[in-house]
Amino acid sequence: MKTYDIVVIGGGPGGYVAAIKAAQMNASVALIEADRIGGVCLNDGCIPTKTLLRSAKLYQDMLRAASFGISLENGNAIRVDWQQLMARKTSVVNKIVGGVEQLLKFNKVDVYKGYATIADERTVKVGAETLQHKHLIIATGSSPQYPAIEGLQSALNDGIVIDSTRAINLEQHPKRMIILGGGVIAVEFATLFNSLGTEVTLLQRSEQILKNQDEDVKVLIQRHLSESGVAIKTGVAITRIDGHRVYYKDAQGDHETTGDYILASLGRSPNTKGLEVLQLKMSKQGIAVDEHMKTNVPNVYAVGDVCGGMMLAHVASAQGIVAVENIMGKDSTINYRQIPSCIYSFPEVGAIGYTEDEARAAGFDVGTSSFPLSANGKAVAEGETVGFVKIIHDKQYGEVIGVHIVASHATDMIAEAAATMALEGTVYDLAKTVHPHPTLSEIVMEAAHGAVDKPIHLIKR
Amino acid sequence: MFNVKFADIGEGIHEGVLLKLFVDIGQTVEEGENLFTLETDKVNAEIPSPVSGTVKSVQYAVGDRVNVGDTIVVIDDGQPGVRSNMAMNESEMESTDTNVDKSETGGEKTPKSTEPRFDTGDSVVETVEEAKGASVVGEIEVSSQLIPASEEGAAHAAETGVKRKVLATPVARSLAKDLGVDIQRVKGTGPNGRVMKADIRAFADAQQRAAAEVPLSQSAVNTPVANTSKPLPSSDVPVKRVQMSMLRKTVAENMVQSRFTIPHTTMMDEVDVHELVALKREVAELATEEGVKLTYLAFFIKAIVLGLKAFPFMNASVDMANSEVLLKQAYHIGIAVDTPDGLMVPVIKNADQLSIFEIAREIERLSQGARARTLQIAELKDSTFSITNYGSVGSSFGVPIIRYPEAGIMGVGSIQKKPVVIEDEIVIREILPLSLSFDHRIIDGADAGRFVNEVKRLLSNPKKLILM
Repeated sequence: MKTYDIVVIGGGPGGYVAAIKAAQMNASVALIEADRIGGVCLNDGCIPTKTLLRSAKLYQDMLRAASFGISLENGNAIRVDWQQLMARKTSVVNKIVGGVEQLLKFNKVDVYKGYATIADERTVKVGAETLQHKHLIIATGSSPQYPAIEGLQSALNDGIVIDSTRAINLEQHPKRMIILGGGVIAVEFATLFNSLGTEVTLLQRSEQILKNQDEDVKVLIQRHLSESGVAIKTGVAITRIDGHRVYYKDAQGDHETTGDYILASLGRSPNTKGLEVLQLKMSKQGIAVDEHMKTNVPNVYAVGDVCGGMMLAHVASAQGIVAVENIMGKDSTINYRQIPSCIYSFPEVGAIGYTEDEARAAGFDVGTSSFPLSANGKAVAEGETVGFVKIIHDKQYGEVIGVHIVASHATDMIAEAAATMALEGTVYDLAKTVHPHPTLSEIVMEAAHGAVDKPIHLIKR
Repeated sequence: MFNVKFADIGEGIHEGVLLKLFVDIGQTVEEGENLFTLETDKVNAEIPSPVSGTVKSVQYAVGDRVNVGDTIVVIDDGQPGVRSNMAMNESEMESTDTNVDKSETGGEKTPKSTEPRFDTGDSVVETVEEAKGASVVGEIEVSSQLIPASEEGAAHAAETGVKRKVLATPVARSLAKDLGVDIQRVKGTGPNGRVMKADIRAFADAQQRAAAEVPLSQSAVNTPVANTSKPLPSSDVPVKRVQMSMLRKTVAENMVQSRFTIPHTTMMDEVDVHELVALKREVAELATEEGVKLTYLAFFIKAIVLGLKAFPFMNASVDMANSEVLLKQAYHIGIAVDTPDGLMVPVIKNADQLSIFEIAREIERLSQGARARTLQIAELKDSTFSITNYGSVGSSFGVPIIRYPEAGIMGVGSIQKKPVVIEDEIVIREILPLSLSFDHRIIDGADAGRFVNEVKRLLSNPKKLILM
């Protein structure tokens, strides 16, 4: 029986980052993973979807290559090679997973493969091994959840209703796809399959997709998706699923639609199996933790999706570091108002902080300033002019409290806003910061100019 | 390179005049060798060189007015980077300071103030607070939490008067300005100690609480209560405005702080010092032989020290933040001295270890030093109980203000002959009026009375003072 300072259950971005951080702080660490290192993020989520989206983007670019002055010699002979698409995805995932495994090895983290079961507050069993620990970090992640819809379970068993993991491992290029849900994952898969030529219908219960985004973002992405060919049905109630057929109703009455697959993107629930002995206190969303990621059980911490809340890889990683730092005696916390979030649609969305509505509801003296991509030189040159930046600030000092970017590279641009907000920066600071030309990032400076006075490159009457 | 600065020597001294220079450019100096003399409102301080090396430049001329934080002499000590005697780790910041100092040598350092105007489109938000610190580049590390006023705490704040450019967020700076918070004093909780808006709010709240509850705290020491008073109401009475001296301002602030922090209670009594008068007359010749100018004050101090030993809570400080009383393990008696510039309180250190003659010598030495302003800072610090002798100007009773953060102060009036009743006979005796102010938070009236009785007992049987 081995004893560790810290045992981490789950090798996703919460768990493996915690393990490496703990090792770097000279703790003895064991990491237990039932499947592959990297969790959903590396194996079934972030990385593979971005790989596939790259192919989809390339395909879209090639379809309009002629307008950029590039023609294929034999006319329009562009086609999606599904097998190669999947092969590239697998190779990218393997490369990244292999990299993380190397990191764990280099940092002398003992990795145990198997399903962990808690024996008591100090003991974890994995396979034939029994591990003792001084501190436990639970990073078991989440799994897709399915609401009780008539016929859903049998369609799931038949492989017609699929989750995101199945969706990135399809053997054939689907002709028609129905997506249930209107969240970030639903929008990303709608973008992916639509761009690859699949006919996509998105069914969303509420009146709008992307409910947590800023109003302007929601409106633009929904409109742009529709214009790109995604059939978006909002305000619908799914009544039943029968094989490939989905029955739903809306204000106009009853409808039905069919697809090769029905992708259920209806939220995720925490993985808490095997932890029962600990009698952890649960919140509505998952394991209840305090700001230091401590659970109600002494020396037991939980990070990432299993805690619910913002189910994002970078939140899990940040929480993993916070848990370890607190274990190692450093008081550390996370400001959840300053977590950037990304949507890998075409164009992308990068957002952080308050939406305009949230800021008003929170009682700020709200100022907003937007700047469109269509007035940005680089965007025009690249032919990617759909999008904008919107800065929400508190008028008292001009503090930036929210930034919402829709742009072809919005996910890479939002970090500027994150840094600014972490430093309690103001629109004055953003406006005074010289941004390089020609870049998409100039729109942030222009919008800040707009907040302070007027943007340079926009006629504001 | 080493910048020798006018370091914060405490005691509310912020500025001074360069009185003497002992070195010239190009001259070699040894560590410990005197570089210059600074005249301040309280003391003349000779500043020794913290390093050995060659004098690279002298930034001020004799007679120049200098502020705390100003670099006065730059010494090439052969070390890489720029260091100074005001902080251990400000080498990065120092390089810019030096430049600034050079460009405006001895000049008036005015705060750069740029109003952050939101609606005018003026997109410049300048740092305001520490901008005045081309010269005053500094902060005293004070947590937004109130620091308990332990002796150690107070000493720490004064001695580590570490001056550096404050790392703060733009919003924190604006907020500090609006709330009137001196950002230099705020301890940042952000990355690398960056001052965040929450730190400013917490500090402002703490200040408010301090003002409301007047806890005994280091923060309160720095709260310029006297400065924040409202402007006077207008009046038609003709006035002549007289500038307060630094010493006067310090006295004012100390008084306000003590008065609004410590719940003063004053107890008055009279002592029959007939025998003490006789004793003093008896030993006057001996004193002269020993070259001692013997005063009653020496006897009073002896009696008070013996009283303090019997009542340790009188020789103490209250630490409200930690709900503790700090019983001082030394007997350093502050004596209020009237000087032409105002009140000064030099300290007789370890008075319990001195004979009456030795105390008398110290009184003479310290009061002369106070008047001539030749005292060292150390001679004005760390008293544990004080005594004020307004009897020297003929007064009888008073309500003395405690020297913060002590627990008591004894006011002694002038000895006068009075008719008193002894064994049903009216006789003429020498009577000494005593007024003891004490901190009612930790000392109740009965205990104060017992302390006064002990002092009385000793003063009316003065031989005990010699024997005990």
